[in-house]
Amino acid sequence: MTGGYFEIEKISGGYGSGRVVRDVSISIGRGEVVCLLGRNGVGKSTLAKLACGFLRPLSGAVRLAGHEITGARPSENLAVGLTYCPQERVVFDDLTVAENLSLMRANRRLDDLDRYFQVFPRLSERLRQHAGTLSGGEKKLLSLVRGLAEGSDMIVIDEPTEGVQFENVVRMAELIVARKNAGASFLVVEQNLTLVDRIADRIVIMDHGEVVLSAAASEVDREDILTHLTV
Amino acid sequence: MLTSFKLTRRNFVRAASAGALAIGAPAILRPAMAADVLKIGVLVADSGPAALFGPAQRAAAELGAATVNAKGGILGRQVAIVFADAGASPAEVAKSAVKLMLSDKVEMIFGSHDSAVRQGVENVVKGKLPYVYTPVFEGDDCSPNVYFLGEVPEQELQKTLPKLLEFAKGKTFYLVGNDYVWARTTNEKAKKYIGEIGGKVVAEDYYPLGAPNKFENTVAKIKAEKPSVVLQTLVGGDNVNFNRTFADFNLSDDIVRLSCLLEENTLMGIGKDASKNLYSSLGYFADIDLPENKTFIGELAKKYGDKAPQQCTISKGLYDAFIFASAVAAKSKSLGAKEFAAAAEGISFETPSGPMTMTKRHTTKNIFLARCDGTKFTVIDTFSAVPTQQSCT
Amino acid sequence: METLLLTQVINVVYEVLILAIIVLGLAVVMGLLNVLNIAHGEFIMIGAYTAYVVQKSGLPYVLAVPAAAGVCGIIGLVVERFLIRPLRYEPFETLLATWGLGLLLRKLVELGFGRGYRSVEIPVVGSLNFFGEAYPTYRLVLMGVSASVLAGLFLWYRRAPTGARIRAMVGNPVLAEAVGIKTRELARNTFVTGTAMAGIAGVMIAPLTPVEPFMGLAFIVNSFFALVVGGMGTVAGLFAGAGIIGGLQSVLSATVNPTTAYLAMLFLSILFLWQRPRGLFPRP
Repeated sequence: MTGGYFEIEKISGGYGSGRVVRDVSISIGRGEVVCLLGRNGVGKSTLAKLACGFLRPLSGAVRLAGHEITGARPSENLAVGLTYCPQERVVFDDLTVAENLSLMRANRRLDDLDRYFQVFPRLSERLRQHAGTLSGGEKKLLSLVRGLAEGSDMIVIDEPTEGVQFENVVRMAELIVARKNAGASFLVVEQNLTLVDRIADRIVIMDHGEVVLSAAASEVDREDILTHLTV
Repeated sequence: MLTSFKLTRRNFVRAASAGALAIGAPAILRPAMAADVLKIGVLVADSGPAALFGPAQRAAAELGAATVNAKGGILGRQVAIVFADAGASPAEVAKSAVKLMLSDKVEMIFGSHDSAVRQGVENVVKGKLPYVYTPVFEGDDCSPNVYFLGEVPEQELQKTLPKLLEFAKGKTFYLVGNDYVWARTTNEKAKKYIGEIGGKVVAEDYYPLGAPNKFENTVAKIKAEKPSVVLQTLVGGDNVNFNRTFADFNLSDDIVRLSCLLEENTLMGIGKDASKNLYSSLGYFADIDLPENKTFIGELAKKYGDKAPQQCTISKGLYDAFIFASAVAAKSKSLGAKEFAAAAEGISFETPSGPMTMTKRHTTKNIFLARCDGTKFTVIDTFSAVPTQQSCT
Repeated sequence: METLLLTQVINVVYEVLILAIIVLGLAVVMGLLNVLNIAHGEFIMIGAYTAYVVQKSGLPYVLAVPAAAGVCGIIGLVVERFLIRPLRYEPFETLLATWGLGLLLRKLVELGFGRGYRSVEIPVVGSLNFFGEAYPTYRLVLMGVSASVLAGLFLWYRRAPTGARIRAMVGNPVLAEAVGIKTRELARNTFVTGTAMAGIAGVMIAPLTPVEPFMGLAFIVNSFFALVVGGMGTVAGLFAGAGIIGGLQSVLSATVNPTTAYLAMLFLSILFLWQRPRGLFPRP
């Protein structure tokens, strides 16, 4: 057992037999937020899917709290405390906003979500609407609330701020930090430095399917990041 | 198996390279087989709604062929059956008939299937060879060189209806049938006989053929009308469905039912709890007490054992067809259309249901009125040599 | 004539309820999984044969219900595993595959029982006075059972989260897996529930019709039309479809004639397929 709470160890894989991600290792400690950055198409989302069980790695291992979960199904991973919020098709369009949130609750009650509704009143106003009618940014808010409400200790979020207004990005950051302070760990795939600046303990940058930089957020300045994010 | 396949292929290649038609390959092989076998195409229901009868039809035909062969065959030649499926659409079956004639070189065709298929086959056979049509049908067909062995409505009704009135509480009739030519023709003819005996038709209902029908409506109307007789021209599953619904509504005590096509299989479906006061009028029942029938059923039991398929008038007709054809050929000494037709007129032959006589290409025969006792038929009256009143020349 | 009218009204209700219970299994699988199980009628047929076997062995008829649900459920399980899942629940592929499955099931039953008609005796004989009019007891029992099953299902679908989970799974399978829905098991259970329901419907209608290998074909036609008219995947659609198709046929059959009633039903269904293929109450 090595130190991290969530460990990605020498993972390789992609779609089919393609090898989009090559020998990537990331270790995330308890109560740590790691932000994964990189240009489009370098394998960030693929890595998140390999780590959470949506794609089967060609090699390497994933461990959560010391237990190997490599190749386990996402529904099984959730049961042991690994939450995933996808980048695309983030909500159930056919279901109402309320149903999106209550889907896996035996009693269908949403009482304990009041604090999220206070932060994002748009959602509580639209509880009875089909989620398909929400804007792209609103869907992202709903997805984040769903993910945080699942109560997992490890949360993987893929591009949470796409299409989200500035003030809501700030509120997202506050929610994430609050959960981090309560002991949860995060892996956040993100391009938006507004969010990264507010939540990251450590920054990992990928290029061509490999990790090219991994350092404490305090040690990396904005200029370094921007050089990696531009061609 | 493998060698014969190779031989066929080699011949095929040789024939093709010689510029012959593909069909030439089997033709080269044919002389190697018995040259003087008389092939008969037999159309049976291997598929489709009547496929229930298929195994019994095949068994009856095979026994017919064996019986004829044991007595020296037809025109001194052993007969061999080529079966084809009559359960497809009329156009498809007509194609099979063409194949029987051109490729299999059959010299006669026997068929047990519906009238639409018969008309399709008649259109391609065009009287070129004798075509013996065996099942119950509506009559009024005089196509050349076609011979009808089945019961026509006149035979099923003219003597049976007056007899049935002995069991009925009055003379009012409710007619229910499938919506197609046999049922409608039968009912038109029935109305004439009902008029002759002073009866009255109170209503008639027709249900589409082959649709998922339910009969609660008609049964409710019957319950309100209280006729003394329900005359049925429903077939197959609809016959079962109607009679079960009728009995469920508790009408079988007071109202007599006569079905014009109720044979052994259908009665099994209707079941013992729904067959009270139900009668059937047909030219054959598998249980009739005639020595010829005992032989027929006995031979089938010998050949097929426990698995002998249930015989009924629909299947047994194909056995009759062999007996009929062999009797005619013995007289005509030829299968030529003219000679065969001349010899057929007036010819008598013995069948499991008793003697039959071909008159104007239709068949005078015995008609039995049977009462359903549970899932068995009890013949309560036999009408000998009932004429068809058809007038083909 | 008043009693005739009353009987005919009961007949209409009866026909609608029976059709609804027959459609139910098909509606579950089609409406929730987008799989048109063409072999639905064959599962009804196998349910009816199960009833026949149970009755022949001298066991109480009620036992045919769990027996048929079990037999059809197990067949459904095998079919899901080796036919539907490998085809990834694709609508067109599974339609063709279940069409072939129907042929196979008919052949297998034919091998076991032959082509001949079997008859299942009415388990509850006699008539009951229903608003002063005698109506066969078994049919009244059937109407009661159908109404209760449908009402129970309606409540369950509204209350229990399973309905929403199935919709979620069909709409977005990746996210469904992410939120913890065991999609493979849920799809399998839904399919198996549909086939088991068909088996139970088979037990219910077995005493009313000839039991034979091809009986299922008659049921799939009306069931499909009811789905087309009502709309798929909603309880309202199920009731509307069964009500319109069953009711229209029954009423026209009584007032005009059965052939016209059948043609009207065909016409209406074609009209819907053409102008409103999603039916009256489709899933949003």
